[in-house]
Amino acid sequence: MEKAWIAVLRKEALSELRLRSSLITAILFAVFSVVCISFATYDLQISPQLGSGLLSLSMLFAAVISLPRVMLVEVESKTIDLLRLMGNPGDVFWGKAIYNLIFMAFTSIVLTLLFLGFTHVGVGNYALLAICMAGSSAAFAGTVTLCGALVTHASNQTALAGILSVPLLLPLSFLAVSGLRVALDVQGTFNAGNGMIAGLGLLSYGLATLAVGPYLFAVVWKR
Amino acid sequence: MKPGVFKNLRILFALAVAAVTIWSFMVPDAVGFQRPELARIFFWHFPCPMLATLLLILGAWFSFRFTSTKKLSFDVRAVACMELGYLFCILTMATGILFSYVQWGAWWQNDPRQTSFLMVLLIYAAYFGLRGAIADPVKRGLNSGVYALAALLPTMFLTFVFPRLPQVQSFHPSDSIMKGNIKGQYAYVVIAVLVLMVWLTVWMYRLRVRAGTLELNLEEVDDGLETNRGDTAGSTVVRPVRVPRES
Repeated sequence: MEKAWIAVLRKEALSELRLRSSLITAILFAVFSVVCISFATYDLQISPQLGSGLLSLSMLFAAVISLPRVMLVEVESKTIDLLRLMGNPGDVFWGKAIYNLIFMAFTSIVLTLLFLGFTHVGVGNYALLAICMAGSSAAFAGTVTLCGALVTHASNQTALAGILSVPLLLPLSFLAVSGLRVALDVQGTFNAGNGMIAGLGLLSYGLATLAVGPYLFAVVWKR
Repeated sequence: MKPGVFKNLRILFALAVAAVTIWSFMVPDAVGFQRPELARIFFWHFPCPMLATLLLILGAWFSFRFTSTKKLSFDVRAVACMELGYLFCILTMATGILFSYVQWGAWWQNDPRQTSFLMVLLIYAAYFGLRGAIADPVKRGLNSGVYALAALLPTMFLTFVFPRLPQVQSFHPSDSIMKGNIKGQYAYVVIAVLVLMVWLTVWMYRLRVRAGTLELNLEEVDDGLETNRGDTAGSTVVRPVRVPRES
């Protein structure tokens, strides 16, 4: 018999493949933000400091506009009570969080490739870039899934999910900027050790978010 | 406690504040400040972030108690802590901005510690935004309680870890007290102001919890009586129906 969290993950994937609304939103947001950055800096050579800030902010807002949808779509389609009756909170959380993690990892890859292509910023450390993206995606997935669940009983849900998620994710941006500026530094100006500390911190933060998430989710899920 | 004792405590508190304020202007200037005579705002700035952080942790603790027991009295305590913490966050930012102008020459220096505390303020603001968006008191308490618990990790990171990262260069000296730059009379004033602020915080917390408990009791009485407060239907409705609260 299929495990419950895999069933939730499969349901999310099938529903996304049918509508493709979140995917289209996230990819279009990635394209728009990169084109805007490219347009605004057409006569500048973007430094690793500036590039890391722009890239991590683009990832943050791409996550905030697309990830809460996995919870809010249950409210819109009036399936949330059925899911609450049938599903164990841990399974629902893991199914939705892992779906968000895969979705965010895909969006991050697309966004980063577009960013590097449009802005001509080089990569000095590919491993660190991958660690920063994996850590950011894990933290985004855990935090935004939880914030999506918190607003299911609130008014003005989509905007509120963003308002709740951004302050929790901004500390991550500090770590992401610190790690990415070393990853995007081709000339070796920055201390590689500090970049690796930031990258591993980001990964730990993401894992901590995913580890705590199911317990907090269970509180708001079971009534 | 008798009302007379409360009155005496209030008078004692007012006298202590007056005495410490005068004392704070009489102590010799501290070393290491650009304009030491104006740096006395440090006395009032220093306790604010400490109390704000402590109240955020306490708020998370009471939120945890509420999520485990579903007793609304814990939610009242959590909100009291969060509201006071928010107040001290605002005071931290206000006194910090003045301090920044006096010592570093700009209202906003983009200092990492200034920015990280602004984020703590944003977390508090989001907490109250969530509370305002949910009407049912139990759901409001549960959801905002979970948010307070989830916010604990980023807040601790912003307050304790981030300023100490090797790549973070801040104008804020992190070793003024540890290295003994603030000592003697100056240090005694810092401690005296801290004690007074803690006293004021405990006082305000007790008042807020009492007001919140009274509000809860009033709601329970309303649930029982369903009295006509002038906003229900006209006189043709003669049978009030009690609607039980959702469990």
